[in-house]
Amino acid sequence: MKTTRTLAAVLAAGVLMITACSSKPSGGDGVTDTTAAKGLPVAGATLKYDPNTLVNDGKPIHLDWWAWGNIPQIQAFADAYQKIHPNVDITVVNQPWDDYWTKLPLQLQGPKGPAIFNIHNSQHDNVIKYMAPYDIPVDQLAADYLNAKSHVIDGKIYYLDLGLMSGAIYYNKDMWAAAGLTDADIPATWDQFREVAKKLTVKDGAKLKQAGFNFNSSFSAFQAGMAYQLGQNMFAADGTTPTVDNPANRQVIQRFLQIYADGSGSKDFGTEATTSFGQGQTAMVYAWGWYEGTLRSQFPAIKFGVFRTPVPTAGATPYAYDRYNGESTVGINKNAPADQQAAAQDFLKFYLTDKADMKALDLSLGVFPAYKPLADDPEIKADPALQAYGDISRYIWPGTVPSTFEDNFTKMWQDILYNKVDPAKALTTAQQKIAADLAGKNFTSAEKLYPAYAPSN
Amino acid sequence: MRRRIASICLNTGLLAVSAVTIFPFVWMLMSSFKNADEIASVDQHLLPRVWTLANYRSIQEHFDVVRLFGNSLLLSVAITGIAVYTSLLGGYVFGKYRFRGRGPLFALVLATMMIPWAVVLIPRYTMFTGAGLQDSYASIIIPAAISSFGIFLMRQSMDNVPDEVLEAARIDGASELYIFHRIVAPLSVNAISALAIFQFLWVWEDYLWPYLMLTTPSKQVLAVGLTTFSGQYSTDYGGLFAATTVSIIPVVIVYVIFQKRFVAGAASAAVKG
Repeated sequence: MKTTRTLAAVLAAGVLMITACSSKPSGGDGVTDTTAAKGLPVAGATLKYDPNTLVNDGKPIHLDWWAWGNIPQIQAFADAYQKIHPNVDITVVNQPWDDYWTKLPLQLQGPKGPAIFNIHNSQHDNVIKYMAPYDIPVDQLAADYLNAKSHVIDGKIYYLDLGLMSGAIYYNKDMWAAAGLTDADIPATWDQFREVAKKLTVKDGAKLKQAGFNFNSSFSAFQAGMAYQLGQNMFAADGTTPTVDNPANRQVIQRFLQIYADGSGSKDFGTEATTSFGQGQTAMVYAWGWYEGTLRSQFPAIKFGVFRTPVPTAGATPYAYDRYNGESTVGINKNAPADQQAAAQDFLKFYLTDKADMKALDLSLGVFPAYKPLADDPEIKADPALQAYGDISRYIWPGTVPSTFEDNFTKMWQDILYNKVDPAKALTTAQQKIAADLAGKNFTSAEKLYPAYAPSN
Repeated sequence: MRRRIASICLNTGLLAVSAVTIFPFVWMLMSSFKNADEIASVDQHLLPRVWTLANYRSIQEHFDVVRLFGNSLLLSVAITGIAVYTSLLGGYVFGKYRFRGRGPLFALVLATMMIPWAVVLIPRYTMFTGAGLQDSYASIIIPAAISSFGIFLMRQSMDNVPDEVLEAARIDGASELYIFHRIVAPLSVNAISALAIFQFLWVWEDYLWPYLMLTTPSKQVLAVGLTTFSGQYSTDYGGLFAATTVSIIPVVIVYVIFQKRFVAGAASAAVKG
């Protein structure tokens, strides 16, 4: 009995001890700022941020900032801002990606949600109703950020792209050299690419030992973008009718199948292309910008290079090289207390004009900077994945395309490769399913915003 | 001789099954000492070629592992203690008392086990948030304080408690609380052990509910911390293996402490009725 009581007492003490460490008060760390004129330079290009002001009248205030990755780079923004405004205490909270999208909308319904939060444009519908518009004129944002106008909703911007991500070809430099290839052999066209893939393939008799090119499990990444090279949009001129079952997509499928038919890769060799590349089994893969970071962290032994995805015709600029998607800037919680929202809006201006930290974030995400003053930055130009894109203005953003495209392109390729379904039939099925899925959705393509837009059927 | 051969075959089979069961854990343990290249390598070895503690050092970069470990331990012990007590109480009432509506009430308790947790998640979230319990441990402890499975398990184990002993105690003047604490509880120790293991495991592994309810990082539980190793595009397997290895230590300790009673307790719930 005595033991039980002792245990209960210890437990109760533990509960009290832990509950005593409650969440931070709205007043943050309790530091007051009394110096508005800090003698710091005004930052920014068109959009300016003047740090020589008092935020929240210098009174202490706490802001939560929720994010799901790249925490050191995000923390750097918070640290830099807190250095200028010591009365603002920003806590960056690392969230798990998957369930973040369950928790965030629930939290944003009430006043206790984070004042600042990272968003992904694929979750637009999930969170937009909880977001406050940026307290910055659209023209200023459009002057400094690529593609900003595509994010205007009823004359206001709630978030925009901080960087643009697209696809490129990653190649293993050791395998490249072992095959006797040099930089001069980097292929510009798909025909050249096919020949290079053959040279990079290593076999032991009939058995594949090293794939020249592997696209297993990355079907959804390339299918939509490669059709753009042939002048084919994802949507018809009305912006709502999906255009999948067409000669361009058939040509893309045949092109990739030909590479496997050459023996330069196999559906049964390295079932996930990016992992196979990281494991040193595959010489070339198509991947989006995020892969650069993954290679550095997960597969540090692989020496890799990146080149722009080949095009159909040598010397000719295609309709577009590929599609791109944006990594988004932060959102502001419209249900947060007014003082937190005001402080968050001030932080937002700092965030959008903090060139050094924005560059570090772009590089860690593997995205081409949407912040125009960074476009010619030497570090950006030296980054293998970012330099591979070339002229970013020749990439198309189709909008926050519903996941039915990626899901059905994946299914289509699985049917073609593993279930021996005829490509034409698989494409027709994909078209039907995507059209059916989109029928209930209010989605309009952003393809028309592409400067070189030309309608296709 | 035939019996001996059968015994050897049986033990060999069980040993093989044990090896298959335990192998992933050994692999995880060994991989937690490998660097990223070795973990991702096609040419896999059980033992690391180059031993490294970097994965264990990296845990702290993701979250305050000591703090979250302590939070999980405290919640698991507290909830297990409370749930076992309330289950024993419920099982005793349903097993040894005769009252009107006992059958339907017990059926109602069992019926709550049939409702998928996903169905009640959002209403429960709204309820607890409305009650101002968000970001408090009360929001984690209260929903787990009463376990329908625990009541069922304890109800089944009450057959191990002879009615004659209870009657004798009553005749001797023992109060109902005295009987419950000094006679029923000691006679139910096997079932208590089994339930304690189950309950501890459930709370220790519980992820989504604590994640949704707790917002202050320092209050979070270890299971939530583990998920931060999986990003949008990739997973830090080395860090995840190291953190998971650390996280299963209490589970192993609890099982070692209760294992002898666990089998007997689980069996008693299975065969009695």
